Amino acid sequence: MNIIYVLIPLSIILMVLAIAFFFWAVRNDQFDDLDTPALDILDEDEADSKPDSTDPDSKQG
Amino acid sequence: MTQTDRHEHGGCWHCGEAIPAGVEIQADIGGRARAMCCHGCQTVATLIDSAGLTRYYDFRDALPERPEGAAEASARDFLAWDRPAVREHYGHADCDGLLRLSLVLENVHCAACAWLIQRFVGSLDGVAELRVDVADGRAHLRFDSERTPLSEIAARLATLGYRPHLDSPEAGVARNQSERRQMLKYIVVAGLGMMQVMSFALSKYIGAWQGLDAQTERFFVLISMVVAVPVCLYAGQIFYTSAWRTLRQGRMGMDVPVAAAMLLALFSSVFITLFGQGDVYFDSVVMFIFFLLLGRYAVLVARQNAGQLQSALARSLPVQARRLTEGGSEMVALIELAAGDRLQVSAGETVPADGVIESGTVMVDESLLSGESIPRRRSAGERVLAGSLVRDGQMTLAIENLGQATVLSGIVRLLDQARTFKPRMARMADHLASWFVAFVLTGAAVAGMVWWQIDPSRSLPVVLAVLVVSCPCALALGTPVALAAAARGFARLGVLISRPDTLELLPKISHVVLDKTGTLTRPDMRVAEVRVVDGIDDDRARLLAGRLERVSRHPVATAFARFDDGAAIDQAEVVTAAGVAGRQHGVDYRLGKPAFVAEWLGEVPVEPGDGQWIALASRAQLLAWFRVDSPLRDGAHELIAELKAAGLTVWLASGDRSENVDAVARELGIEHTRAACSPADKLELVRSLQAAGKRVAMVGDGINDAPVLAGADVSLALSEGADIARTQADLVITGKDLSRVSAAFGLAPRVRRIVRQNLAWAFSYNITALPFAAAGFVPPWLAAIGMSASSLLVVLNGQRLARQQRPRKTATGAHPIEPMPSRPAAST
Repeated sequence: MNIIYVLIPLSIILMVLAIAFFFWAVRNDQFDDLDTPALDILDEDEADSKPDSTDPDSKQG
Repeated sequence: MTQTDRHEHGGCWHCGEAIPAGVEIQADIGGRARAMCCHGCQTVATLIDSAGLTRYYDFRDALPERPEGAAEASARDFLAWDRPAVREHYGHADCDGLLRLSLVLENVHCAACAWLIQRFVGSLDGVAELRVDVADGRAHLRFDSERTPLSEIAARLATLGYRPHLDSPEAGVARNQSERRQMLKYIVVAGLGMMQVMSFALSKYIGAWQGLDAQTERFFVLISMVVAVPVCLYAGQIFYTSAWRTLRQGRMGMDVPVAAAMLLALFSSVFITLFGQGDVYFDSVVMFIFFLLLGRYAVLVARQNAGQLQSALARSLPVQARRLTEGGSEMVALIELAAGDRLQVSAGETVPADGVIESGTVMVDESLLSGESIPRRRSAGERVLAGSLVRDGQMTLAIENLGQATVLSGIVRLLDQARTFKPRMARMADHLASWFVAFVLTGAAVAGMVWWQIDPSRSLPVVLAVLVVSCPCALALGTPVALAAAARGFARLGVLISRPDTLELLPKISHVVLDKTGTLTRPDMRVAEVRVVDGIDDDRARLLAGRLERVSRHPVATAFARFDDGAAIDQAEVVTAAGVAGRQHGVDYRLGKPAFVAEWLGEVPVEPGDGQWIALASRAQLLAWFRVDSPLRDGAHELIAELKAAGLTVWLASGDRSENVDAVARELGIEHTRAACSPADKLELVRSLQAAGKRVAMVGDGINDAPVLAGADVSLALSEGADIARTQADLVITGKDLSRVSAAFGLAPRVRRIVRQNLAWAFSYNITALPFAAAGFVPPWLAAIGMSASSLLVVLNGQRLARQQRPRKTATGAHPIEPMPSRPAAST
């Protein structure tokens, strides 16, 4: 059972890291737009639709 | 005259409006011809198709507004936005030398709008980033103004129908955003903390069963404390500060028992952990905070989405002005103007500032300010006001007052004052809540003291259970959650709600005051009757009138626009405040007021009947009469009939002349009318009805109605009207169909029913649970679960209002706002 004295503090450290990561994400606008990203995935023929694109997104497609 | 037939097929492919009879416009969308209601829709739809973005039609779940004006917006309309003053005032350069700037967009309804804007405008050269916030209709841009000027971006947005406005750097938006972000942080901290603490608590409970040694148990308690204390102190902040704030003002807020329960449970648990014996409640406290935060977040988002008071003033002013300089003229942005500047304003433009005409004669439409629908003549030496539209002519204007000093902005302020009168309901709820809170606190104290006598070790759990179980959050959530859901349901109906709490009032309304111009009638005019006098037949008279009126921008000209076949007219000219003149096949014609043709005929011809008559004449003789009027909107008859059937008293109040008002009232069967009302008169009417104990709903549009709208118990505005009314009314009816007004009245009782169910449940739950908790039957963890379950139930019940609305629409015969039939993605 002694292992819990190591594992539980470890889990707390992980939690603190998770919170820190989340705060960072919030600060970097990741949670400001929750509506449009859902539509991006539906956009299959992106290459056709943006011939003159400079948007970095299109380079993936 | 054929009326529009709104029951005809599915309506416009783009905007969903009914297609007027006789209009046969089509656009090729995704390889198939689709019917369009107007050239504006055709332009936008073709544009979307040619950019390969037809999937917009699959994605959208709200219909767009019908684009105003068929012409594509050009960068010239926004030229002044490229000036350095605009860049400095509204934007700021970031480290890459790119310009950051926000625009407020009109008509952004759903995620599909944001998607369309991002694809269409985001693909412009030099646009590094474009983010559209659907909730508040703002576009956040980061772009290279050397490669793509702002004017071009603005023109693209306007062409799509999302007219942009410069966003004055205001604190409100940033505050909303930081509030939302802060709440998210609290929730995640509380959520993660809850998982941890619950797992420790669970291990401890299971361990107690299986025989956990004392040292390990102590470890679990200590580690719970280490996690719970910072989590509670951080994530519970809003409750502590809010409770402290109300206490300091000598009041009892909802948050007082909440904060008391949290802090009491937390610190007593810490005390027990460090010095004493007994149960600890770290898990209950963290769970309590987490669930409360979830509820608060839902309310916060609903409130922020509902109450966007966008810069109303900026929206009713033009984007740029032509300033006269010594050498000529230049287009400048409004922020560059100063008192004393001289401006040139021409037909079709909006006056940007209050001022005096130096030269020129114009017809100005001041319907935004006074409600008078007929343009007035203004000439040198007279004043014109910001926000009025120049229909005809051209003038040089010397600026007297700008921005906040204008009459327009005075009206906006009047409006703000009227709004502050309103929240009677809110005050009452607060008042009740403070009594309830005082009752709960006393109850908890009494229960604690009684138990101290019986069994001191059970005193604390009982106090906590009482505080937690009677948490008035279900009571507090019941109404806002239902109203927020109702707002979403109404939005699908084409009714936007900016102040959800007014939905509660809607079923109690006894009187409805309707505005005429632009509300019951359409803003454009039509030819109602043609009377041929001599030497010409009906069709030729119409054709000739259509050709002659082509040059005019007067509202009357809209009545004739459909007869214009495009044939050439020589020497066409507009005679301000009189009519139009032109020559065809060697014959001179005049079309206009009787007095105007009288100059040729030598005598003023007698109008053949009531109403507004336009005369057509050659030099030799009078040819024909046209009676023009503003047609009633679709659904006007049904609206009045349904309102009367619902037992409501209908008033018609208008700034228009009494013969026009009476004619409309007669046609619709409205008994109570008041004509020639100034905004103050209308407000007086509403106030006198209210003083007689009636609850009054006002349906109107235009800024002149805005103070009245704010003074009424419930206000409804039609979005086709001036934008300012859109943001100020409680309920905004989109589109042009008045049947949505009656739909709103029809649905409101359902909202009230659900709100009542919620309140009844929350109240009876609290009342029944309280004695059990005080009697010691409810441990604190069960109280926390019960409280959360009660809140959840209330939230789920409220959500029902967001659904089940669609079938109603067909019942009211109204609207093709149903989701577009899904179609194959056959764009290529």
